[in-house]
Amino acid sequence: MAMAEGMRALRAAARAELQQLNRSRVLVGLVFVEAITFLVLVSLFGLTGSRAPTALIQLDRGPLAQSFVRQLEEAHNSFSLRPMTAARAKQEIAQGEIVASVTIPRDFDTAIAHGRTVLVPVTVDNVNADMDNDLRGAIPSAIARFGEDHHFPGIRLDPVERDLIGHDTGYIPYLIVSALALTSLVVAGILGAVAVTREFEARTVTQWQLAPVHSGYLLAGKLVAAALVSALAIGAAALVVVLGYGVVPRHPLAAFGALALCVPMFTCLGACAGALLRKTLPVAALFFGLALPCYIDSGALEPLRFDGNKIWAIGHSSPVYSAIAVVEWGFHGFDVTPESVPQNVLQLAAWATASALVAVAVLQRRVVRR
Amino acid sequence: MNAVLTVARLDFAVWRRSPWAILAAVIPPLGMFILVNVLTLSVTVQPVALVIEDPGPQAQVVSHIIEDDTDAYKLHVTSLARAQRLLDEQRVAAVIVIPKGFDDGVARGHAVLDYTLNNVDIDFADDIRRSIDRSVAQFDAPQLGSSVEGRAGASGLVVPNAYRVDIAEHDLRTTDVAFETYQTLPVILLLVLCAGVLGGALLGSRDHERGTIVFLRQTPLGRCSFVAGRLLGALLATASIVVPALVYLTEKHVIHPPRGHWPPFLAVLLGTAVFAAALGVLLGSVSRRSTTVALAGVTVSSYLFFLGGGFTTIAFLPHWLQTLSLLVPTRYGIDGMRQSLFYADLTGVPTDLAALGGFALATLVASIAVLGRSVR
Repeated sequence: MAMAEGMRALRAAARAELQQLNRSRVLVGLVFVEAITFLVLVSLFGLTGSRAPTALIQLDRGPLAQSFVRQLEEAHNSFSLRPMTAARAKQEIAQGEIVASVTIPRDFDTAIAHGRTVLVPVTVDNVNADMDNDLRGAIPSAIARFGEDHHFPGIRLDPVERDLIGHDTGYIPYLIVSALALTSLVVAGILGAVAVTREFEARTVTQWQLAPVHSGYLLAGKLVAAALVSALAIGAAALVVVLGYGVVPRHPLAAFGALALCVPMFTCLGACAGALLRKTLPVAALFFGLALPCYIDSGALEPLRFDGNKIWAIGHSSPVYSAIAVVEWGFHGFDVTPESVPQNVLQLAAWATASALVAVAVLQRRVVRR
Repeated sequence: MNAVLTVARLDFAVWRRSPWAILAAVIPPLGMFILVNVLTLSVTVQPVALVIEDPGPQAQVVSHIIEDDTDAYKLHVTSLARAQRLLDEQRVAAVIVIPKGFDDGVARGHAVLDYTLNNVDIDFADDIRRSIDRSVAQFDAPQLGSSVEGRAGASGLVVPNAYRVDIAEHDLRTTDVAFETYQTLPVILLLVLCAGVLGGALLGSRDHERGTIVFLRQTPLGRCSFVAGRLLGALLATASIVVPALVYLTEKHVIHPPRGHWPPFLAVLLGTAVFAAALGVLLGSVSRRSTTVALAGVTVSSYLFFLGGGFTTIAFLPHWLQTLSLLVPTRYGIDGMRQSLFYADLTGVPTDLAALGGFALATLVASIAVLGRSVR
């Protein structure tokens, strides 16, 4: 009997929350914008990860020079070569438009054909140590490939690569999938939190004490509504990934299942944060601020285990770690954590249950205290 | 003038008593700061296992080349079985094997260096490929990079090597700026943006939520005086957060501009702050609920930050995005800040300041129009 009343209260709370969200269309619209925002931001970040804009000052256009330029172009996505004059290169490098310039000297072909060594001047804007290290590695790599290609005498060692995965995956397709987990955190977190903070700010939370059912039913109803709207926003983001970025899930059930599991989990986390904060104002900033470090420290850029024990251990403190693992497996078929996919799914379920319990406990305490 | 100062004083007092608003302005840049520091750990060396199966002297040479390259590898020298286990457990991203018979291969001129790579994404996989290519090149051409370019009529020195190409690297500056220092700068900009936009916006939405806009309508304040006062209040709010952060970072030598670059650096910061505050005032006039204002403020700030090159380098972006970023005011702020802090000259800084000033003025005029109408 109590259960039936509770379920009726749950449905009523969900309906009320949906009506409330319907009246806050600007907020809901902004949440949808936020869902897409993270995909855009991650893409912008991904574009910086490779292909450094580099001036190519080509003073010799012979076949060997062309072959060397080709090796520079193919040096593991290191350069985006932009042919230009020396004067223009000097100007652009001074303005930070390009990060390096490579000059193919006039006698390149003749000298190499005669067995001589050619000096290739490289100017590097070493303003950023990370970018500079990439360039310093890329040019010897191009030189080595050039020598191997032409079988020059004296080259005795060849690298032989075996890849664990049959194809390379671009940085953006990899990042964009993990960004979906992050989007879930932000969107569901914000809507879950706002569902609760609104009750505190409107002082309607005191009325929960008068309800003839446990406040958990009321909270669950509100969160179901928040989760439904979140699911729509995340679904829209997932569609953008599939249709816009062309990343088709290898295991669709797992991919969308993981996202579906993320929604209630992060909604509950949001409710928990909302019950603790009791103010709507810092909610968006909190989830946005949390999302960025969470994203990086959850294996979004590469398998987190590569970053050593400490970072890996810290990563486990966030549910985004398991979410990214399952979503990456669903979309790309990659195992990006040492834990198996079922283990990660279990962890997600545990996070969801724990968050719901904490949210109910915190809210129950708040209601009783008031 | 008195009216302007009164509005500014009132707004600043309100801001000081709004800890949640201050928290909302500080959290995103704080998150970005943590991100930059965590990222520093991710973008450096890659964990790699090295298996040496040949005890010969040539195998020792190549193993020493790899072991000495601490800029590229975090190395585990181990057995093949353990290396495979490390790869399976994702404790290393690649296993390099110097195979049995390596020395014989070198003697015949056909040795191989095997490596197995976990290539889930090309970012770190390419880092490892580049590093291994460099190690291989060093084996056959240890003199690579030791040639000297001739300058000012003087003849250079080209040291011959087996690859027949050598590089003469010319660095534009004496020291590299560490990644975290390079990225701390945009974090300051994000702080200015969040404080300015959220400060201006929340002060505006508060008037509507609390109904104080009614009182403002009764006051004999001119439209421009009110907007100027609010803008000044928002600027004071921004300064109350940004100035302590700047002082701290200067003390820690994170901010260390070349001689004579402080004035342009501060001018760029001020230009960005005026733009952000004006945008905030505009947002606060358009959106009247603090919930939506906070979310919109954070979203707008993040777009301005990323599209302006806060966490990216504009030159890396596709051409259409580079063109689009010309319309993003923060691009000029970030360019100006980087130029004045990291470069010896101030090329482009006057243009950046002019563009920032133009955007700030345009936003200001829009604020006066919108906010002025709402208090009339």
